Amino acid sequence: MMAGIFAVLLIAFVLNFSGLRRLAVSCLLVSLALCVGLFLWEIYSPEYGFRMPWLQVDLERAFAPIGSS
Amino acid sequence: MRRMARSEAPIMVVLDRLVLLLMLAIVAAILTAAMILQYAFGEIPCPLCLLQRVALFGCCFGLIQQLRAEGSERGSGIGLVFALLLLVISVRQTLLDLFPRPDHAYIGSAVLGMHMEVWSVLVAVALLLGFAIRFALFGAPRAAPDADGSLVHRCARGLELYVVLICVLNFVSVVLQCGLGECHTFGYRLL
Repeated sequence: MMAGIFAVLLIAFVLNFSGLRRLAVSCLLVSLALCVGLFLWEIYSPEYGFRMPWLQVDLERAFAPIGSS
Repeated sequence: MRRMARSEAPIMVVLDRLVLLLMLAIVAAILTAAMILQYAFGEIPCPLCLLQRVALFGCCFGLIQQLRAEGSERGSGIGLVFALLLLVISVRQTLLDLFPRPDHAYIGSAVLGMHMEVWSVLVAVALLLGFAIRFALFGAPRAAPDADGSLVHRCARGLELYVVLICVLNFVSVVLQCGLGECHTFGYRLL
């Protein structure tokens, strides 16, 4: 998949260099779509989904009533 | 209302082109530094690192298109989209590795105390800021295309060729590292 993304990206650059700008932009958009797809696939966890449970905030202390400490 | 075909004062156009050239040169230098870290210091990039390189190449593409543009801001739009993509990927990777735990820690060595994904966040913000400053200062001046022999044109063409060359190297490198399957940081699959 990663090799495919770089291949499409390279084709876009070569087409742009050759003066075929519209075709180059189309290839770049394909590369963007593949890149976003692979990014979502990479960060998805079967256990957590897209959440990041290791990032915790201490809500108890933040919402403690004034003068309770 | 401003007419589309009107050209701006030459000095504004030249300054605008120079800002675009500078941004392109900096992004090309960052991509070169990434390759040097990979091959001279043996730091194999992770999948999200490679996706950040794709985003940087997308920014280069947008800047190259904008350098050639006569009355369109499409290139800047492309650059902004990819700068935003770079920001999203690098922030997510920073949050993934923020708290070291089994199988998750910052990859590679730190440069000036910061790891690559944190640098990527700064690079993305700098790119967004660069585009914003360009719009604020020059208001996206409309200009006739540069003459083929002009210095700006020659520099732009040279940098474009260099970016294409780095893209070829990256493609070969990715094929060596990942083959046609998943990418890992253990080593090069085809070596």
